Amino acid sequence: MTTKQRIAIANYAEIPNRLKTGRSAYDLAGEALAALLAKSGLALEEIDGLSVTAALSEGTNPFLAAYMCEALGLSPTWLNLSGTGGCSALSGVMSAVSAVREGRCRIAVVLSADAPSTNYRADFGAQRPEFQEPQAAGRPPAAFGLLMSRYAHQYGLKEEALAKIAMVQRGHAVLNDNALPKLRTPLTLEEYKASRVVADPLRLLDSVMFCDGANALVVTSEEEAKRRGWSKLAIPTAFAEITNFNGREPLADITESGFGHLAPRLFAQAGMGPAQVRMFQPYDDFTIAVQMQLEQLGFCERGQGAQFILDTDLTHQGKLPLNTGGGQISAGQPGLAGGALNLVEGVRQLFGEGGPRQVAGARNALVTGIGVIPYGRNWSTSAAMILEAA
Amino acid sequence: MSENTIPPRKLPRENLYVDSAAFWQGTREGRLLLQYCKDSGRFQHFPRPVSLYTGSRNLEWREVSGQGTVYSVTALRTPGLGADGRLPCVLALIELEEGVRILGNLPGSRPGEVRIGDRVKLAWDELSDGRYPAFALA
Repeated sequence: MTTKQRIAIANYAEIPNRLKTGRSAYDLAGEALAALLAKSGLALEEIDGLSVTAALSEGTNPFLAAYMCEALGLSPTWLNLSGTGGCSALSGVMSAVSAVREGRCRIAVVLSADAPSTNYRADFGAQRPEFQEPQAAGRPPAAFGLLMSRYAHQYGLKEEALAKIAMVQRGHAVLNDNALPKLRTPLTLEEYKASRVVADPLRLLDSVMFCDGANALVVTSEEEAKRRGWSKLAIPTAFAEITNFNGREPLADITESGFGHLAPRLFAQAGMGPAQVRMFQPYDDFTIAVQMQLEQLGFCERGQGAQFILDTDLTHQGKLPLNTGGGQISAGQPGLAGGALNLVEGVRQLFGEGGPRQVAGARNALVTGIGVIPYGRNWSTSAAMILEAA
Repeated sequence: MSENTIPPRKLPRENLYVDSAAFWQGTREGRLLLQYCKDSGRFQHFPRPVSLYTGSRNLEWREVSGQGTVYSVTALRTPGLGADGRLPCVLALIELEEGVRILGNLPGSRPGEVRIGDRVKLAWDELSDGRYPAFALA
């Protein structure tokens, strides 16, 4: 690998999550971009690569990426529209790494903006209108209610473990100025247990809340970053993804996800194992997804996730800090831009910019994505990235 | 939103995704037809443009028994999940005897009444302009 130049995430910007802003993805993206320019010293015309995350508020607009360029005054020589739902930003970063390495651009921006609490326009099509929506089986809580119910049947659920995820993350959101203001109060076990059931056994406080927001990450070579005086870098040292895991097996165990499949590849690339992960910034649409990822990425055995959660200090000061910005569950889910929320937090931590929630010795971070609600399974795309500080 | 402002549930348009005419004709005749791969002798659901097992388009529609067991079950309890006007709405993933799973409601069942492993049979969810396959405890 020494012959390859190292490509890094070298800068980032994030605007605060807010409810029902009345604004578009373009306008939110503009705010994130302006913040990025101010923070990094980049000039607009220096950005020659762009990956845009497909947005719920832009429906099925196939022209989103090009219109984003027109809106923001960008003329990239490399342009990508990333459409793997909550995995779009992670996948966009890896595509940007390749584009920079191949010389298609020098400064790539991975831009994620969405406003589903203002304008939810997604029309998913495919099998859903005829075979999933008549039964009310297309929405995430329905899919995760079924998944959680099956998991409970096979392994049992520990309410205290799921509550702990929600409570730890809420504690982190309290320390995050970009988190939704209404979620920035500590959560008690009693409040968790009293929260209403949305889709048995899934509770409201197991779930995300849609909001509006945007973020941007700069991907460039280490050499270019140094030249610009960007001294803090996060290097993606490992990445693995899989879509439609077990997709040809109609009777697959739905508690098995793509993370079990990708974990060996991921850790082999990074030359490390779960025990060496300094912090875990997983995609969190629902608490059970966090628990399942802990198991399938190898932090503990299958079915032992709840015990692992109860036995481990997951706070920012703990052994395995979990979603130190509050995650989507507690900072808010800015639609599909939410897939970058925990990625940005991982980068922020590796840069030592976590403020009151800074993890000590933040040398690496494991960040994940989960994308797309399928038919009668868990999720379509699983993606994971290991970032190391350089 | 109060109950009386909810529009009547209607059937979706047919054939939006693949040729599903046989499925919809089946609903009018009270039969459940699913897609069958003639090369591998296996069913698949939802229907696809190709066989998941061989990649060929050597597919047809065959009637299934409608008998199966509950693989997983939930109850939708809040508005906005597509089940407004029929809350709580019991939703299950059913494993049919033919070796394929199908998502279905159990109209009239109460949350907690349907459990994983329970035997179910084909039933029908009556809509304003037709009916949709559903299940009931056997």
